[in-house]
Amino acid sequence: MKYCDRFTLVGASLLAAFSLFAGSLEARTWTSTDGKTMEAAFLGIEGNNFRFRMDDGREVAVPRDRFIRADQDAAERLDGIGDDTGVKASAQKIDALLAQQLKKHGFTSFNEPLPDDLFVRRVYLDIIGRIPTREEFLRFAESARGDKREALIDELLQSPGFASHLFNYFADMYRLHASDFNNGIRMDPYIQWWRDQLSENRPYDELVVDMITAKGNVGQNPASGFLLRDTGMEFDAFANFGQIMLGIDISCAQCHDHPFDEWTQGDFYEMAAFFGNTQRSTGYRASSSMMGGGSIGMPNAPEGWKDDFMKWAENNKGIVPRDPQNSREFRYFVNALGWNVDDNEKMETILPHDFRGSGGKPNEVAKPGTLIGATAKTGGKTRREALADWLTDPENPRFAQVIANRMWSRAFGRALVEPVNDFSDDMAEKASQPEVLDFVSREMQRVDYDLKQFMRILYNTRAYQSIATAEEPDFADSYYFQGPVLRRMRAEQAWDSMMLLANGVEIDEKTGADGSFYKKILDVDFHSASHEDVWEHYEMWQSARGNRMGMAVIDDSSDDLTPVIVNDDQLRASELPQPATGASMLDTFGQSDRIITDAHNYDGSVPQVLALMNGTVTQQLTGVSSKVVSDLEELDGPDDKVRGVFFTLLNRFPSEEELSLGVGMIEDFGDDGISDLAWALMNSPEFLFIQ
Amino acid sequence: MDHIADLADKDPLSRRYFMELSAKFSLGLSLSVPFLPRYMQAQDGAKAKNLIYIYLSGGMTHLDTFDPKRGDVMGGTEILDTKVDNMKFGMHLGELAKQADKLAVINSMSSTNGAHDQGQYIMRTGYEKRATIVHPTLGPWAEKLLGKRGEILPDSVVIGQSTSNAGFLEPSLSPLPIADPSGGVPNTTPIVEGDRFERRMEMAQKLGSEFVKKFKYSGPDSYVEYYNQANRLLKSDELSAFDISGESNAAEYGTGRLGQGCLLARRLVENGVRVIELVSGGWDMHVDVAGSTSTKLPELDKAVAALLNDLDQRGLLDSTLVAIGTEFGRTPDINMNGGRDHYPAAYSCVLAGGGIVGGTVFGSTDGGGKKVKSDPVKPEDFLATIGYAMGLNLEETIYSPTQRPFTFANKGKPVTKLFG
Repeated sequence: MKYCDRFTLVGASLLAAFSLFAGSLEARTWTSTDGKTMEAAFLGIEGNNFRFRMDDGREVAVPRDRFIRADQDAAERLDGIGDDTGVKASAQKIDALLAQQLKKHGFTSFNEPLPDDLFVRRVYLDIIGRIPTREEFLRFAESARGDKREALIDELLQSPGFASHLFNYFADMYRLHASDFNNGIRMDPYIQWWRDQLSENRPYDELVVDMITAKGNVGQNPASGFLLRDTGMEFDAFANFGQIMLGIDISCAQCHDHPFDEWTQGDFYEMAAFFGNTQRSTGYRASSSMMGGGSIGMPNAPEGWKDDFMKWAENNKGIVPRDPQNSREFRYFVNALGWNVDDNEKMETILPHDFRGSGGKPNEVAKPGTLIGATAKTGGKTRREALADWLTDPENPRFAQVIANRMWSRAFGRALVEPVNDFSDDMAEKASQPEVLDFVSREMQRVDYDLKQFMRILYNTRAYQSIATAEEPDFADSYYFQGPVLRRMRAEQAWDSMMLLANGVEIDEKTGADGSFYKKILDVDFHSASHEDVWEHYEMWQSARGNRMGMAVIDDSSDDLTPVIVNDDQLRASELPQPATGASMLDTFGQSDRIITDAHNYDGSVPQVLALMNGTVTQQLTGVSSKVVSDLEELDGPDDKVRGVFFTLLNRFPSEEELSLGVGMIEDFGDDGISDLAWALMNSPEFLFIQ
Repeated sequence: MDHIADLADKDPLSRRYFMELSAKFSLGLSLSVPFLPRYMQAQDGAKAKNLIYIYLSGGMTHLDTFDPKRGDVMGGTEILDTKVDNMKFGMHLGELAKQADKLAVINSMSSTNGAHDQGQYIMRTGYEKRATIVHPTLGPWAEKLLGKRGEILPDSVVIGQSTSNAGFLEPSLSPLPIADPSGGVPNTTPIVEGDRFERRMEMAQKLGSEFVKKFKYSGPDSYVEYYNQANRLLKSDELSAFDISGESNAAEYGTGRLGQGCLLARRLVENGVRVIELVSGGWDMHVDVAGSTSTKLPELDKAVAALLNDLDQRGLLDSTLVAIGTEFGRTPDINMNGGRDHYPAAYSCVLAGGGIVGGTVFGSTDGGGKKVKSDPVKPEDFLATIGYAMGLNLEETIYSPTQRPFTFANKGKPVTKLFG
């Protein structure tokens, strides 16, 4: 098989990028389940029918299930493309705004259009977080469709990999951490909630509202994990809120007036006061017996429930409260049940006794007030509801700006406003492209915070589909987005690509532990459950204590409460425990430890290169019984084999020189030459970068 | 003295790379200023040849450790006498109390950074965190100012962290990160050996050169350097420096990461590594400070006491500065969850060995541990004290690739009174 010649002609990608929607009206061959075919252009899906235009102009509707599976899938995909004509217009508008700025600053135009091979690798990594397989690469390379780029973008956006890769981004931003908490208290249901929301592509503003207004424990309401994450650190929680929702770093205003911006110390506490009556309980009571009565433990249960239950367990189940050995695990369980968020009207935010900034006096009660934009309307709502409404109100542009700016940086490797979590007061001046920021923020609102649709727009811009800028732009300089910047893979992209190389595409569909077991334990309706019912949950708890609980899965449809422990670590990063445990490859490649927001690290290190040189995946691919060698067995001749290795690892064509180097290796060393070549490509810096 | 440019000749694979790199980074101009106040000059005959910087991430409570007070602020922590009359510790530091005569305790630290990230950043670099530049930590700084010491082993290692960088300095100065001290350096057994390994390396270098040339970014360049370092390391016998499995006194240090990290640090010092940073988490005690200190402090106590003892017995304490740092203290008031919150206004750090006069308490806070009363020490001053002990020229200006001038510890003033 020779694929080289057919492929090179598609350098004219500029044309392709601008011919977005014509493609779906091209006629193609459709095959029915009984083997009949028809030539027709696909028009769309209507209920259970597909609509087509035949060659003679006639429009017909055919039941979906008449077609073979592959064609049903194709129709779904095509339907996605034709669905939103706004994408094309929107992408063009962004390009026009960028082009204007480029001209103004002395650039003739965008960087050269991205060649097809680099395009495939980039969109796979950017959209689904892993490199393509050789087969996926070739499928694109050999496709003659005029709209194949848009089609691939759509296909990838529909793949489960999209949510998986986006999850890694939010896991870093929202500091998703399964077990940062004492005594068996875990976050797995909250983490699974994020996976589920992203899989369903729920609008981002709705997620935020859910998280801000949640009540209950993480089993009863997994979104409560957002507020529970920082139990005991309420002001840090608020500072994080400011960074990720409003793009303002106000942590310094906790102790004094902000030195650079206009915010006073009083402003900080007024804004924080929206959470002033938010009660996060741990079930702990300071320096006295945790078993004691009157603890602040459980607003999610009827008054006194906890004490009653403890007494009942003492009388009926042999729990000895005063014996720490005997009762420890039981206390952990009860604390976990009571670890919840609620509103407590008796609580207030009090200005600190050493308050020294302006906008308040020491020990004063802070009333809720907004830092920027319009005031929040509180009538008839809880403080948190009022805050959520204010935040996501179209009149408050900041919320949309922050998420649009962040999504932009995912595509381009650099944000319109840097850093993404600190717009500060002079944001408009700081944005290197204020018009673009303004436009994409309104687009974010127009698509109703549908992140998939928003990314679709960005990926279809000419700016995105340009080769990466060759010289590293300075932090401090404005950047005009003549193309994306060169990026190193995230730790998760490197990991997922390694998993793909070792295990194939099945990793896309494989799921890990989903927190279901732990969720089931905590999801108790305390008003109706009997003590005996809750005790059953305790028995579940005991059957998979500690870290195993995070790995435990349960089939909700059955009555059998035995956990299944997921021990598989050959999963995509998003399906593994969050974050990966110390000294794993994810850790080595810079995955965030989830202590602070956006802490992913892109630096290289000796341990990283040692992992690529000698690690288990490299061993599998290039050691004795090399997987690369056996995967390429079907190919004849050293030329095709060399190309095969390049397609597998770097997803591009070798240059003439590279080809002859590789061929020389194979001629001299046979199969060893193939695995040596594969090793060399994995260990050239190019492997880790997205160009 | 070895310089990175000299190493290039020893490793043919890296020659081209080093030529490019030195062109890129030949900006490390030094400024010598003729008349300096004494504290600004490099210390004559500085004793600390090595540094072990134990960084307690999260903010170590000062009241329950090195600055205990009488009264309510102590929660349940009792006060412990030490070997030194005027030095008192919290009750969990019994082993260190026996070696108080080796320690200089600074109880007048204060910082303006109440958030972990910013606080930690300045305590490890001497500079405020900025969005526009990354400042180097102490290891790269020392190597920059003193020159490279070892041929094979890196001059600096960071234990308890899986990534590291050299800030605006050359990537070759990056500390080697060791995530798990017991694991040493993972993945050091090559898949193929001998000629075939060489062939692979050569091929990788050839196939990668086009890409590295195409993009003028620091990232790909740094990977070329890491491959060179890894290659040298794999071929050397010195890898065993990272293996603590044969150490007979491992139990004295404690089996946790902090203890094992201290043990590895000692071993690395013996093998010529100049700066070891040991980062240990778990100090952010917002909830149940009494419970948390009862597990964390004995671990710290045991590990550091064993380290000081061991260094002393091996005759290394005089030439090795041991520092304990953290980003801030914790509130004197105990919160509703039984914890203590962030408290940058007053906190404690500790120094020992490397020319430090032991048995010293420097600076003080008021009766409640709330405010610094005498001899305030800022993060920059603390790092300058470390630099002074190591004989670094605190006035030497190093320029970043963007031509911004920087000095070690950002003009902090060393506490020279701590030295003999």
